Amino acid sequence: MKIYPIVFASLLGATAPNATGAQAQTAAACTGETVTLRILRTPGNYPYPKPMEAWQKENPCVKFEVNEVPFPQLADTISVQAASSNPPDIIVYDGPNTQSYAAAGILLPITKYLPKGWDDDILPATKAEHSYNGEVYSPGIEQTTVAMYYNKKLVEAAGVKPPQTLAEAWTWPQALEAFKKCQQGPAGAATVWGLGPTRFGNGQPGLVYQDLTYQRSAGDPKAAPTSSAYKTFWAFAPDGKTAEGYLNTPEAVEALKFYQSMFNAEGVAPKVGIPNAFFDSKACFYIDTPAAGNALIKDPKIDWGITPLPYFKTPVVHTGSTTFGATARSKHPEIAAKFVVDMSWGEYAYMNVSQRGNLPTLKSLFSRFDVYNKYPMKVFVDQLQSWGQPRPPGPKFAQYDKIVSEALRGVAFGGNPAELMADAEKKVQRILDR
Amino acid sequence: MSTGEQTLTVSAGAKTRPRKAATRRQKQERLVAVGFLAPFMLLLLIFQYVPLLVMARNSFYDYSLLNPAAEKFVGLRNFADMIEYDDARRSFGITFLFAFGVVVFVIPIAFALALFLNSKLPARGLVRTMIMLPVVTSSVVIATMWSFLLDPSNGLINGALDIVGIARQPFLTSTQQALPSLIAMTLWQQVGFGAILFLAGLQGVPSELGEAARIDGATRWQVLWNITIPLLSRTTLFVVVIMTVFSLQAFAPAFLMTQGGPQEATNLIVYHIYNTAFIMQQAGYASALSLVLLLVVLAISMVQMALLRSRWNY
Repeated sequence: MKIYPIVFASLLGATAPNATGAQAQTAAACTGETVTLRILRTPGNYPYPKPMEAWQKENPCVKFEVNEVPFPQLADTISVQAASSNPPDIIVYDGPNTQSYAAAGILLPITKYLPKGWDDDILPATKAEHSYNGEVYSPGIEQTTVAMYYNKKLVEAAGVKPPQTLAEAWTWPQALEAFKKCQQGPAGAATVWGLGPTRFGNGQPGLVYQDLTYQRSAGDPKAAPTSSAYKTFWAFAPDGKTAEGYLNTPEAVEALKFYQSMFNAEGVAPKVGIPNAFFDSKACFYIDTPAAGNALIKDPKIDWGITPLPYFKTPVVHTGSTTFGATARSKHPEIAAKFVVDMSWGEYAYMNVSQRGNLPTLKSLFSRFDVYNKYPMKVFVDQLQSWGQPRPPGPKFAQYDKIVSEALRGVAFGGNPAELMADAEKKVQRILDR
Repeated sequence: MSTGEQTLTVSAGAKTRPRKAATRRQKQERLVAVGFLAPFMLLLLIFQYVPLLVMARNSFYDYSLLNPAAEKFVGLRNFADMIEYDDARRSFGITFLFAFGVVVFVIPIAFALALFLNSKLPARGLVRTMIMLPVVTSSVVIATMWSFLLDPSNGLINGALDIVGIARQPFLTSTQQALPSLIAMTLWQQVGFGAILFLAGLQGVPSELGEAARIDGATRWQVLWNITIPLLSRTTLFVVVIMTVFSLQAFAPAFLMTQGGPQEATNLIVYHIYNTAFIMQQAGYASALSLVLLLVVLAISMVQMALLRSRWNY
């Protein structure tokens, strides 16, 4: 009967010193007013606890309140919270949305807070993606791109030897031959697929990040700016005012017919997602970011390698990752901007990047990651530096992304490439005209 | 004469008799009733009617959720856009087709199941559980499960078709088959609810009417057609209206299984509204679409109620 008061007393005894200690520590260290920074991020994303705690030691008056939402709901949540009376001070978001959020007045320009030397150290693609009207809105922490992983056992059994350097990279027709040789089972219903499905979204094809590179690589950035080859490569007017004539070009349509054949006539890629297909040896090849490589290094389920992303005429890979910024309506803009900049510079940036294993956005950090200095992961660094391009940036990127992804998915499912791209151009134009 | 005057007076007196003042107890009861109703009415007002008014007002503005302060009055432009561009027309068309497909199949199948459940045939309990399970299962779980079933490469349904020698079907990745696939899934999910409603209606039909008809020589089919179905008209109306409204408001299948595709073949109107507001950032246009949807649902429900009005009572 008397056990409950004893347990209660024990609990009180156990917790009281901790609470007192924590309060005492804060009170002793912080001499001014305490500020709470509200952070909205996705689970497992930066800023990570370790660098945050280290930063707090230098800034003892700052506390954090972290709210997390899954990545698919992140943009919707930002839409709602950014307009509320009490928006978060710091938001983690998908990098290509920087210009949308900057144009809408959600993000705080941080150019004046950036440290000396940042301009020379940052990757050009990152700076381009995170800038708007001459101001930088996010310093970025990590950068990603995609390359093609392969299952060594399956590929060797098929007598295929994928290239390991950018100079020897396959064209898409060469890659298709390899997919066909390696695939097991009937076309369109394989037991081991030539090219596995993406892990992004619901696993269906069409994502701009991965699949717009098919048609972009059929273009030529060195051609005359009025030529269809030039427009094919950029896929959106450089001034961001139109997509007409940039998606439905002869080069793009030709590339898309090839893209379509992989899911239909050739049947080497599935139209819907198969969870963990590559990691379960259900696919010979698979396109993903460095995150997959880092996961395989930690837990080598299969023997694997990486080959550069194939192309038609001009090699190109999309860059971009989640990033973060301070909000313009933050109640503590100065502190929020300082935190954001500090987390992406020097030792804090190293701590954040090494936690997940993606590529850093600062060139000076590359040498500190051994894994990126040798094959296979070096392919990512080489691609990023030689072939990297941001997805077509602009204040309406989210809308462009959705419209073009749907068109690409329609092509993969068997729709007419020219009609679908012409329709996508019109839809993008309607958004731009508003 | 005097009698007549008296009668008239009494009559006039009856007409002009002042209303009896409420007793203290009646007043107290009214206060209690208002007290019980007030919280719900307040919630209804705040969360239903005020947002409706705000939505109606927003349909005349152009703004983005990212920056609502920069809203711009555009008059009827959002409504004009529905005519100028074909997205609203197509989406409403697809939604009507979806609702029609669901209602047309749910009503007879649910009714047949209800007849079975109302009979004394064996395994009724098992069938009742089987048809009610999808009703109480989360839409997300059902959508995920059906996505696997309808996988165009290695799905269970294609596996079964393969065994009987029928070619694999693309299902959700085909512009022709995606909508029928969603209708089939919704039918599977909702038929149990319809059956339970019909069962409740059947159990309320007086058995004497059928027995009397049988004694007079009517066949079972004649009893069903001439007595049971007409007497169930109120239940039928309810099921039709409920299923129509459910179907017009369907969101999860398009959001979770097809994302409105392929090529907008399953772009149901509520998903289109969500997409317009949150992805396309055209919240004003989305409000206009919502307003039109509200009016359309109201109009369809009223037409259904007029057409299926009960002519028999028991």
